[in-house]
Amino acid sequence: MIEQRFKCPNCGEIASFFGNPGEQMTVSCTACNSKGRITIPVLAQNNNSAIEVSNLKKVYGDLTAVDDISFSVKTGEVFAFLGPNGAGKTTTVEMIESIREPTAGSITLLGKDIRTQFNEVKEHIGILPQEFHSFERLTVRETLVYFSNLYKKKADVDEIIQSLDLTSHKNMLYRNLSGGLKQRVGVAISLVNDPEIIFLDEPTTGLDPKARREVWGVIAGLRKKGKTVFLTTHYMEEAEFLADHIAVIFKGKIIAEGTLEDLIRNYGKSSTLHIKKCKNATDVIEMLKQEGYDEVSSEGNGDIAIKIDYKERVLEILSHLRHDCIEYESLDIRRSNLEEVFLRLTGSKLTEDKQ
Amino acid sequence: MNLKIVWMDFIYSVKGWYRSRGGMFWSLAFPVILILLFGAIFSGVGSSKYTLYIQDQDQTEMSRGFNATLNATKLFNINIVKTDVNVTSFIKEKNIKSLIVIPKGFEQTIKNSFMNPSARVNLSFYFDPSEQTTTQVIRSVISSILQEMNKNLSQGRTIIGVSEISTITENFNFIDFFLPGMIGFTIMQGAIYGSIERNTKYRKDGILRKLLTTPITRTEWILAKMLFMMFLAALTTALITIIGILVFGMTVNISPLVIIILIATSFLFSGMGMLIGRFVKEEETADTAAGAISFPMMFLAGTFFPLEQMPQFLQTIAHILPLYYVNEGLRNSMIYLNQTESLINGAVVIIFAAVFFITGVLLTKWKED
Ligand SMILES: Nc1ncnc2c1ncn2[C@@H]1O[C@H](COP(=O)(O)OP(=O)(O)OP(=O)(O)O)[C@@H](O)[C@H]1O
Ligand SMILES: [Mg+2]
Repeated sequence: MIEQRFKCPNCGEIASFFGNPGEQMTVSCTACNSKGRITIPVLAQNNNSAIEVSNLKKVYGDLTAVDDISFSVKTGEVFAFLGPNGAGKTTTVEMIESIREPTAGSITLLGKDIRTQFNEVKEHIGILPQEFHSFERLTVRETLVYFSNLYKKKADVDEIIQSLDLTSHKNMLYRNLSGGLKQRVGVAISLVNDPEIIFLDEPTTGLDPKARREVWGVIAGLRKKGKTVFLTTHYMEEAEFLADHIAVIFKGKIIAEGTLEDLIRNYGKSSTLHIKKCKNATDVIEMLKQEGYDEVSSEGNGDIAIKIDYKERVLEILSHLRHDCIEYESLDIRRSNLEEVFLRLTGSKLTEDKQ
Repeated sequence: MNLKIVWMDFIYSVKGWYRSRGGMFWSLAFPVILILLFGAIFSGVGSSKYTLYIQDQDQTEMSRGFNATLNATKLFNINIVKTDVNVTSFIKEKNIKSLIVIPKGFEQTIKNSFMNPSARVNLSFYFDPSEQTTTQVIRSVISSILQEMNKNLSQGRTIIGVSEISTITENFNFIDFFLPGMIGFTIMQGAIYGSIERNTKYRKDGILRKLLTTPITRTEWILAKMLFMMFLAALTTALITIIGILVFGMTVNISPLVIIILIATSFLFSGMGMLIGRFVKEEETADTAAGAISFPMMFLAGTFFPLEQMPQFLQTIAHILPLYYVNEGLRNSMIYLNQTESLINGAVVIIFAAVFFITGVLLTKWKED
């Protein structure tokens, strides 16, 4: 199965559909619901990678900020580069953007080597630097027009304003915007040339949860439009929520890579079933152990945690509980998350606990 | 090069500047306020009041004694003119209001007078009749000194006399001196601080990084910014000049040379700003550094007060400061209409501009480490 994007001839909305190469199917538009027939092409775009990085390295004096990393980002995916402060995210992304010189390694964007052909790539990428702050005294719309005028390839500025929900702020001076709006304008700026690849360096750091959600919505929208997004972040939830593919970077090295599922399957614990406020907890623990559940533990207050390796186990446990007429307040199943994966891999937490 | 991009960037710079109260204040309101203020305070006051030039052609014990006596009155700011200088053209060129020449043979004549009762020597006193007060003060001080000397030498017979030579120099006021200085100073400030903002704030805010990934080239960017600096320079000059003409009735000459000096000044101090921003990364610190450089330079380069009123060693320092040549160049070409001098000053400004601007551009780091 491969994914292919189609543009609705009726409303212009772009949507992805899955199918086998050559397969024909009738689909309906996700926006206007009009029906149409599509053919999945034999050579889908999916095989091309938008970004290829190999053996990239950056050394600052004694510090190897980026240590011989290689990865590729497929066209149309949201690729999250996840890592704690100082992991080397910005250094990596700025080398890809040709802002910093790599110590070693090679990078291609859309099949072009950036060492020699970066100027040809410029029209096709849009970047948002970390902690970006635009011209203070231009309005939102002027800012977008300014950056748009630097390119030959242009997206419609007013369309961008609309799709990023900036219409009511378009005549405000940039300096008077809230942090969340500034970031949204930053993303908007990165779209003025209708780029194929968008680089966003920590677009939500320092934003409150609501503003963060809004930026997430924007990024999800980009994905829907078929853009390739390279996102750096140190927020698990952000990577979990947005990314098709995650690379975990730690001390300059990629220590794990794959889809969210891959990472959790390979590095996380399996899920855990929590029984809350169970009567006779000690007896129940004993009983479960006898039934062959190895990792059962008391969490105090009558709470019990049981490791589950596959779904069916939950039903088994439930039937045991019912059989013995055991009373409890509630049940919940917690899946392993990235935080846990990260803890496993590095022995440290990704985000410091807030005091 | 895409001139459309250059023009577009320029237009947006103007827009941003127009909305910035700080920018408007420093480039327009501040110089106007200063001009009006200083113009009012010093109106009618000649710029070289009580400044006395002396050419001592005798170079003897006695001539030096005479100088010392004059000096001891503490009424004058005395400047020594070298013996090989032609005083008539010197007076014309520098607009000297009062100058005394002690002739060769001054001491000899006095010595001879003991034997030869008819021996007599005259000092020459060149004065500007329009500077009545100054002339009056100097005339009376000199005559009382001479009276004293004659009395001691010969019981009152006049051995040392004075021949007065009236010179008509143009009568320039303090405002004539001040206005070109204000123009040079304002352009300097605008260029230095603007350049620092671009090289520190824009770097920190990621604007330079962002631009590196867009199709705008370094040349287009620099050209657009210089265009903006020249726009500010033109605006400042126009405004200050209009005030000079309307409020103070000045005659101001805007020649091609004036424009060339103004352009070169923009480049010169933009380059200086780039150099400061290159080595001092923090914007506030860089601004402080700029102040530490431009403020002393403002005083030492004779921007607001004539250099002749300063001690000799400070006057020497002035000659290595680029702003000094800007000031002199603008004064000579806008006000004093002194072609040769202003050409020389202008040439020095252009050389300074080339050096600072080129090193500034070459040393500026565009990419990140
Ligand atoms: N110009 C530089 N000179 C020296 N060291 C640097 C430089 N830039 C980055 N570093 C170091 O390289 C390491 C990686 O930094 P980088 O900014 O890439 O981290 P990051 O993952 O983006 O972190 P953050 O989440 O804080 O943005 C850090 O230890 C940093 O101190
Ligand atoms: Mg970073």
